[in-house]
Amino acid sequence: MAECHGVNEETQVHEKHCRVLLMGNPNVGKSVFFSNMTGIHVISSNYAGTTVSYTEGDIRLGDATYTLTDVPGTYSLEATSEAEAVAINFLNSNPVAVICVIDSTNLERNIKLALELQKYNVPVVYALNMVDVAKRHGFEINVGLLSKELGAPVIPTVAVKGEGLDELKEALQKVLKQPKTGCNDCSSCRQHKGGEMDVWDRAAEIAGKVRIKVNGEFSFMDKLGRSMLKPWPGIPIAILVIIISMGVIVGVGKVLNEIILLPLVDNVLVPFFKNLFSLVIPEGVFLNILTGEYGIFVIGFEWIIALILPYVFLFYVVFSFLEDSGVLPRISVLFDSIMRKLGVQGGSIITILMGYGCAVPAIIGSRTATTKKERLIISAVVCFAVPCISQTGALISLFAGFSPVLLVLMFLLSFAVMMTVSSVLGRILKGNVDPMVIEIPNLLMPNARAYGKKLMLRMRHFLLDAEVPMLISIIIAALLKETGLLNYIAVYLEPVVSGWLGLPKEAVIALILGIIRREMAVAPLLEIEGLTALQAFVGGTVALLYLPCLSVFGILTKEFNTKTALAIAGATVVNALVVAGLINQIAHLFI
Amino acid sequence: MTEKEKMPKTNRSIYYAEDNSQYIVKSTPDLGILKSLGIVENARIQKLFTHRLGGPVLVRVGSSEIAIGKDIAEKIMVGGK
Repeated sequence: MAECHGVNEETQVHEKHCRVLLMGNPNVGKSVFFSNMTGIHVISSNYAGTTVSYTEGDIRLGDATYTLTDVPGTYSLEATSEAEAVAINFLNSNPVAVICVIDSTNLERNIKLALELQKYNVPVVYALNMVDVAKRHGFEINVGLLSKELGAPVIPTVAVKGEGLDELKEALQKVLKQPKTGCNDCSSCRQHKGGEMDVWDRAAEIAGKVRIKVNGEFSFMDKLGRSMLKPWPGIPIAILVIIISMGVIVGVGKVLNEIILLPLVDNVLVPFFKNLFSLVIPEGVFLNILTGEYGIFVIGFEWIIALILPYVFLFYVVFSFLEDSGVLPRISVLFDSIMRKLGVQGGSIITILMGYGCAVPAIIGSRTATTKKERLIISAVVCFAVPCISQTGALISLFAGFSPVLLVLMFLLSFAVMMTVSSVLGRILKGNVDPMVIEIPNLLMPNARAYGKKLMLRMRHFLLDAEVPMLISIIIAALLKETGLLNYIAVYLEPVVSGWLGLPKEAVIALILGIIRREMAVAPLLEIEGLTALQAFVGGTVALLYLPCLSVFGILTKEFNTKTALAIAGATVVNALVVAGLINQIAHLFI
Repeated sequence: MTEKEKMPKTNRSIYYAEDNSQYIVKSTPDLGILKSLGIVENARIQKLFTHRLGGPVLVRVGSSEIAIGKDIAEKIMVGGK
């Protein structure tokens, strides 16, 4: 059964028995319904287009099991985008029913989709979601009247809190038992032949009828959401949000690292394994591979537990919060004019920020870009100059021994490379980048349950995806160093590593491991005694700009093609060696 | 804001139209996403404001707020009520 739950990539939709579709506008909470009804957790956020491909899972209704499909969000059913084409394919694949999620705070547009759905002869149940937010905005909805207008059951829900889900399942069961009729006896039938504006008129008419004004109190979040869209105070708030986010990640990460995790590793875990292995294994190369200075059980714990995990965890704590709150689309709007000058558009900022966690989801997420050119630029920027969080963690530790100024310089360098890559590609790549058209979601305080689930899901993904490559690189590091193999290889790379970059020969390990995992291009530098500030910075620069890890290469091949992946890989390596070497050579002119 | 003055009073681009006012959409570029969001001919649309330095324009359609990049927004023509 496991493969049924994977994310499906093909646009080809196969007919499946007993399929129930979960549909609706983008960002109305479809994925939250999906998680709650199937128990399969998919990532949901507070902006349009989190679900770029569809996901399926089983739901039980009474004694029967159905396949629930989380269809990508669509504003209409006119096949104007890939997501809409997918949705239409599904509707034509003979589903037994549709759950259509309606955003209560955006009635007109959501009702329009509901009206379009009626053209397909499929039983529908409507979930009127976010009724709590609508009420705060000053209106309630006459559910009975809306149900009559749409000719189908309407269930008010607050999906993130799990409210109304049982009622929704009941209604769905009832609808499934009813025999299919030729046409629902709905009052909207006359618009079947209507044109474009007619559907909108009809939607507006229904919305006007069912909306009841109540005394809504715009909350602090609503007001903040409004003001965040204006340059003043929006831009200062956005900058503050970014600074606080970085502060939490760097600051709390350092505390966790230095006060809890490093002592735990150095005083408990490592000595324990050292004692254990020294009892059973005689002294020699083999023991050194396990528990020597570079032993698997020494750097394995130091690098993974103390260096990487706290930062990965904190990044997702912060980023998931930003995603669910609706801050990110606001930042896109504020920075659109700058991004335009760099050859992309404001919306791509979200994808790039995601790259600060890991490049793999960022490259997959770049599917939301409307043109191939934009996708390529975003992916290249992420590969060239955006450090993933594991690497950032390693860089923070590397520079901690010197000066925080180095970290700031490193980020400035990263921005400079990003801007250069983006503007150069914007000029040389054919095609164009579509200007931004985005809907601004409500600014919300993330729901604790949904947020917690998402955080757990992300951490699990990280542990599953990163574990094997991390272990492989640690084993390679241990073997290279403890067997003395490094000295043989170092001879060949000496001119580049020591001559051009001015790094000690142990840095060769970093260059080799950096191919497998990004942070491993930094971690070996931490073990080198007597590294100068310049060497640390040059080493950090190589790591930052170097080829992203093997997983990134894999995803580039999959999402684009091998040629693109090789081009990006080659260009990043050359760029890393040239930039870092120049920094070293120029610095030596002055020192 | 010379462009604004050049625009005839009746039909002008939403990008340069007066802030915080209601308009009727006269014509839009042929783009699926605009249609989907309800920015279609004869639709009622409220312009909030335009970001400076070539930033997007913010409009309200129905109860949703939408940001539209300059290049597209310049081609959306609107008229008075």
